[in-house]
Amino acid sequence: MRKSLTQRIGLGTLGVVVALLFVFPTYWMFTSSLKTPGQVLSPDYDLVPLSVTFDNFVSALTKPGFTTYLANSLIVTLGAVLCSLVAGVLAAVPLSRMRFRGRKGFLLLVLVAQLAPFEALLIPMYLLMRDAGLLNQLPSLLLVYFAATLPFTCWMLYGFVNGIPYDLEEAAMIDGCSRAGAFRRVTLPLLAPGLVTTSVFSFITAWNEFLFAFVFMRDQNKQTLPVWLSSFRTAFSVDWGGIMAASVIYAVPALVFFIIVQRKLVSNLTAGAVKG
Amino acid sequence: MTTTKDVTMPAGATPPASPRIKPPKSNRRLRLGERTAPYLLILPALVAILVLLGWPTLQLIGISLRKLDLRELVSGEMVWVGFENFSEILSDSEFWEITVRTLVFTASVVILTLLLALLMAVLMRHLNPVVRVIVQVALILAWATPVVATTTVFQWIFDQQYGILNKTLAKLGFESFIGHSWFSTGPSTLTVIGILVVWQAVPFVAFTLYAGLLGVPKEQYEAAGIDGANAWQAFWAVSWPAIRPILTMVTFLSVLWDFKLFAQVWAIRQGGPDGASTTLPVYMYLKGLAGNHFGLAATAALLMMLVLILLTARYVQLLVRTKEADLS
Repeated sequence: MRKSLTQRIGLGTLGVVVALLFVFPTYWMFTSSLKTPGQVLSPDYDLVPLSVTFDNFVSALTKPGFTTYLANSLIVTLGAVLCSLVAGVLAAVPLSRMRFRGRKGFLLLVLVAQLAPFEALLIPMYLLMRDAGLLNQLPSLLLVYFAATLPFTCWMLYGFVNGIPYDLEEAAMIDGCSRAGAFRRVTLPLLAPGLVTTSVFSFITAWNEFLFAFVFMRDQNKQTLPVWLSSFRTAFSVDWGGIMAASVIYAVPALVFFIIVQRKLVSNLTAGAVKG
Repeated sequence: MTTTKDVTMPAGATPPASPRIKPPKSNRRLRLGERTAPYLLILPALVAILVLLGWPTLQLIGISLRKLDLRELVSGEMVWVGFENFSEILSDSEFWEITVRTLVFTASVVILTLLLALLMAVLMRHLNPVVRVIVQVALILAWATPVVATTTVFQWIFDQQYGILNKTLAKLGFESFIGHSWFSTGPSTLTVIGILVVWQAVPFVAFTLYAGLLGVPKEQYEAAGIDGANAWQAFWAVSWPAIRPILTMVTFLSVLWDFKLFAQVWAIRQGGPDGASTTLPVYMYLKGLAGNHFGLAATAALLMMLVLILLTARYVQLLVRTKEADLS
């Protein structure tokens, strides 16, 4: 089906308009963070910033507690990612490489756990953490994010290990490697892209999480970045430039990690569609 | 499927000439080790899932059958009330109002997301490579920006006095929008939240559908063209069957995700004004943690789960059945 020139120009224009609509909020976040307070709160129409200032970033970074919230977010996120990656790899290997009773049952458990609405467990989780004396303690969030990301991690890594031919490990074992050695030297390096994809997804889930962080961390010093950012009005009043700068700082790690793996993420998720 | 083979080789031992030759009978104990190995390896994940997900799920059911207000929480007393929490919530007109609101909100957001994403996927298929990359970069940026960051940006865009939206509308001649508040009524607030959610949900669905469309061989379109089909007919005859399973999957995932939104609704107006934008997850939070009625909140959570199960049962059934066949 050949397209005429006018059709192509029309489609191209439509594409650009749609792209602008989608990029606008992110663009607006970045440009607003670069404006001076006077430019932000001016009645003028200013779609393109005429001058650039980094004052908002300085003011956001020096807000009391900001570095604490950043550190809190990093600790619970990276801790949870690491835990679920280790438990996930340990589980994915036997699931893919060995036959044992209960294997299928465990895989179905993982599948169902992945679909279950995690937020519904807020009340029992809250009481559990309260009884364990973990409210306002970072380990409580770490455990919750670990639990939230683990089923998905197991499922993804199971798929990735399945994709690596077992013959390679067998060959290494013939050459004198132990089973564990063969896994470590042959399969693990090939699994690296899978580990990156999976951990980025877990990272984004934990980095974004709001409800549990909001409920568990009532103590001001123990908040995470999303909770702090959502209550910005008390911290910034109407300093929209400062809020946008804080949002940019919060968004950048997720954006960077996301761009690394987005292509893989889509193909993996499409592969999960039910046929027929 | 899997390439697993029955290799019962003792760890660390000198390998026999061929790995497929079974080792002599003598190493029974090593074979026992080999047999327990998979269980030891899945143990951390299994324990974590059972303790951190399974146990709270059982607790949820238990708590929903108890009266658990601040008094019982402090004293540690167990007060079983049977289905009293259920009858209290189910006879609460506010609960029904919020349930209907949540369902309508979820349905509108999901339908709008799917329609726009389908259009985007088809558009991407027909664009020239340069424009397509521009569109894809824009979509990825919208997709990847963290939820709370986008929520703050949307509040800034929709700001009453200095928001760019009101400024733009005024410039276009709609003077009445100067100083217009987008968050003064429930429906208006929910519309803004809906736009925010759709804007962030479209990229994933669009990319997924686009990947599905790319899987259709070009020859099929050519064949349809030769048979005299116009673009519309070709879409229904060729593209639609190819993307239907993917569409079912993303519909299911979208329902699952959009039904339980909390961060956006809470961060924008805490379910206000006057509770008019409260959805079920916010209701659960307000009842349970702000109002200290943990039993009632657990019941609400359980009912929420039930609604979700009803909405997605058919798909989960299909999914589990195909996966079961795959796993064997």
